[in-house]
Amino acid sequence: MNKADPILTFEAVHKRYGSVMALDGVNLSIRRGEVVCLIGPSGSGKSTLLRCANALDVLDSGRIVFEGNEVRSSEATVRHVRRRMGMVFQNFELFPHLTVLRNVTIGPTTVLGMRRAAAEGRAMALLSKVGLSEKAAVYPSALSGGQQQRVAIARALAMEPALMLFDEPTSALDPETIGEVLSVMKVLADEGMTMLVVTHEMDFARRVADHVAVFDKGRVIEEGSPKEVFENAMVPRTRDFLSHLGWHGETTIPTAASTREVS
Amino acid sequence: MDVNLQPIIDSWPFLAKALGTTLYVSVASMVLGFMIGVAVGVLRTYGGRVLYVLLGFYVDTMRAIPLLVVLVWTFFAFPLLIGRSIDAVTAGIAGLGIHLGAYVAETIRAGLTSVRRNQMQAALALGMSRFQAIRTIILPQALVRMLPALGSLLVIAIKDSAIASVIAVPELLRQTQIVAGKTFRPFELYTAAMLVYFLLCYPVARAVDRLYRRVAHLGSS
Ligand SMILES: Nc1ncnc2c1ncn2[C@@H]1O[C@H](COP(=O)(O)OP(=O)(O)OP(=O)(O)O)[C@@H](O)[C@H]1O
Ligand SMILES: [Mg+2]
Repeated sequence: MNKADPILTFEAVHKRYGSVMALDGVNLSIRRGEVVCLIGPSGSGKSTLLRCANALDVLDSGRIVFEGNEVRSSEATVRHVRRRMGMVFQNFELFPHLTVLRNVTIGPTTVLGMRRAAAEGRAMALLSKVGLSEKAAVYPSALSGGQQQRVAIARALAMEPALMLFDEPTSALDPETIGEVLSVMKVLADEGMTMLVVTHEMDFARRVADHVAVFDKGRVIEEGSPKEVFENAMVPRTRDFLSHLGWHGETTIPTAASTREVS
Repeated sequence: MDVNLQPIIDSWPFLAKALGTTLYVSVASMVLGFMIGVAVGVLRTYGGRVLYVLLGFYVDTMRAIPLLVVLVWTFFAFPLLIGRSIDAVTAGIAGLGIHLGAYVAETIRAGLTSVRRNQMQAALALGMSRFQAIRTIILPQALVRMLPALGSLLVIAIKDSAIASVIAVPELLRQTQIVAGKTFRPFELYTAAMLVYFLLCYPVARAVDRLYRRVAHLGSS
């Protein structure tokens, strides 16, 4: 398969909730092996876009194509697409009634019909990859936020996905644990995992992303390489948004206390 | 007042058998009630509008009719409807279980809806079907969360088995009545029966309580 093939494309995707136009004609494509970071103000529809990508939400019009299949074409495609796409949530969403190990094996055993022993082998390898093999037997409630999020990443990876969706994976974390999650994501990116990442971590986006898309009011208002977007934003709204996050480009002096809050 | 325990000792095998029936009827009606309750609770929560309304009719009727009336109806009226008689124990288990099921269903439904929506999304995102997600992710958490309420229902199921004495199920209260009538020793016999019910129910309530304190964190997503 050609590396430059798009693995996931959004074509004129629309989605409304009542009177709110959450997605207002999104066009975006992600190529195999690429890391795409999606940035944009709160309420601009970033989470909605990810939920539509794996059919947790239904679009009103437009198309989403993943590995050549239209996502919503049949129940079977939906299941197939979800099996091939991992998702990491802002609030981890580990299963509290299952041990860390079982959290990671439950996908392979229930969805792929994998034998428990084989799934545990795979899970232990992934847990040591995210640095948590010694926590296999504990329950999520005994973990810090950063540890929970790393388990959530391992859980998604256990399905051996072709694409990983991250929805603000570090927004619910204490500042001191953000780094451990971002470095796991960086390792994944370096290994060639295709990733669509919603994030407010501008530094991560700048260093890791191949492509950055800026979202506002349900559409992509600007996209390009990190360099283009962060240093040469063409759209005033992008510059507004970046300065709100405390990003003033490389040419100006960065403010010490960058505000995370976005109105 | 003189206390004479001789009648209890004399009819010990008879009463022990009655206790056995009480246990059997309680456990069987619990199993039936919990099976009905889990099924109805899940279907009312996830089965769509039509099932919600239809099964809501079952839940509401059972909660609006006294258990005594349900039992009497099951034993005396229902056989006329199907054209053959059913034995008292079967009627008792059915009546108790169907009645209990309505309460279990509502408890399960409350538990299921209290699990945050994102847990379902996380399960679906792994590729699970809704059924798999409910069975492996949502329902277990709902059960943990509802453990105290379900524990009360367990205790109620044991206690309510005594009501089945009205349709002549040979359970503890009914057989105690018989012995009390024969020996003219109601005080000793009914006191003993009371004590036995307490000794049966109290440990169950305490055990559920302790279990809940140990597992509560498993339901907190
Ligand atoms: N399930 C829903 N029902 C109704 N409205 C919704 C729902 N989900 C999202 N919305 C609305 O759609 C819009 C886009 O929401 P979305 O969560 O996708 O934004 P976001 O870019 O992810 O924001 P944030 O940075 O706060 O996570 C918002 O106005 C939101 O209120
Ligand atoms: Mg969001």
